[in-house]
Amino acid sequence: MLTRTEGIVLKTQKYGEADLIVTYLTSDRGIIKAFAQSPRKTRSRFGSSLEPLTHAKISLWGKEQATLPKITQSDIINSFHQIREDFHDFISISKLVEMLMVLIPESIPNKKLFTFLLNILQTIKESEQSSKDALHLITRIRLLATIGYAPRLKGCGRCGGKGLNFYPASGTILCNKCAVPFVAGQSYFKISSNTIHFYTHSIEWPIHISNRLKPRQEVLAELSTLLDRHLTYLLSKKLHSSEFHSGISGNQEYKSRTT
Amino acid sequence: MSNGVVENLINELTKLPGIGRKTAQRLSFFIMGIPEDEALSIANAIIEIKKKARFCRQCFNITEEEICSICRSSQRNKNTICVVEEPSNLIVIENTKIYNGLYHVLLGALSPIDGVTPERLKINELVERVKSGDISEVIIATNPNTKGETTAQYLSQILKPLGVKITRIAYGLPIGGDIEFADEVTLSKSIEGRNEM
Repeated sequence: MLTRTEGIVLKTQKYGEADLIVTYLTSDRGIIKAFAQSPRKTRSRFGSSLEPLTHAKISLWGKEQATLPKITQSDIINSFHQIREDFHDFISISKLVEMLMVLIPESIPNKKLFTFLLNILQTIKESEQSSKDALHLITRIRLLATIGYAPRLKGCGRCGGKGLNFYPASGTILCNKCAVPFVAGQSYFKISSNTIHFYTHSIEWPIHISNRLKPRQEVLAELSTLLDRHLTYLLSKKLHSSEFHSGISGNQEYKSRTT
Repeated sequence: MSNGVVENLINELTKLPGIGRKTAQRLSFFIMGIPEDEALSIANAIIEIKKKARFCRQCFNITEEEICSICRSSQRNKNTICVVEEPSNLIVIENTKIYNGLYHVLLGALSPIDGVTPERLKINELVERVKSGDISEVIIATNPNTKGETTAQYLSQILKPLGVKITRIAYGLPIGGDIEFADEVTLSKSIEGRNEM
């Protein structure tokens, strides 16, 4: 059966001599994998339409519940190649894409998520370089909020009281009173009130005006570490793209040459 | 399948990339049908490659010696390095007979989502080669896809400050193709990279 849908390419994986297995976030079928025959050959009719982040109209051939339908056609709606061609943008968006792939089960339709990712790609494409660091962090926060995995930073998760200690194992801030009986001995992470303000605005403000948020570098670093630790606890492993990012940032050769 | 030796061969062949059980069965029956010396020749070739083939100490091309024939050759231009992802890419470029410089095989491409970091590739070795040799140009010939492009950008950022000329192989349309069927990204790249006639 031939079906048509819209999808955003999340990842491609080499298969056989010149084939690819493409992971899409589709508008009506959620995350799916599909098989493309010979797209790696230079004269392939697929061209660059199977490159990561491409938003395309696709035709799939296979049974309704087929685990790996065949891609028969792929027409680019928006290539978002500007994001792929910017090294820092691509590394940052890879974190978001990997989060999507590990947190969202396959084949569960989620139109809201598809629109969310499309809006984010459009916003990043149109943003100025100076606001990109904050924007990438905001997109990760908003993704977690959209799918219900966001950490709670607005007051103590048990009593609603004031607190600045974030407990990854509880996914929330806990005040000193509540922390003692419930999570005694667990590691926590002290954050500043500026970080909490920025986090709250990141979730509440519409994405297209989020470039008005101008956080300090310390706030970005603190929140980025918090999210990484929160995700590492949730997934029981570190994201590949986070490790990649830390590796690049910690590489003295790279740092000394790019700063 | 009841026969132990055939089943064993099928199982072993399915370990190869792109070989499923059906193909492995077909290959096994083909091997059963060929003369013994031909089958032994295939088996010996596999044993030989494991015993003798290794990566060149300088460029990481596949070789039987410590240093490959390209790196040893006095006929090659020692001032230029062409960076490729895999040894198979090097063979294709050699077939063009246009390039006469040296190579550096990275043995992969950067991929944040798969956790392929610079440390897992032969990037530090490339930096050392550029620092220690009389290299004036590095041609980045990684694949024209997202992983290849990410790798190219990273290499460009770490090599440029060393004072060498960094070039990237051109993007564009394949010869014999038709513009009508080109996608927007390929076509826009070929217009950006147009040459004066």
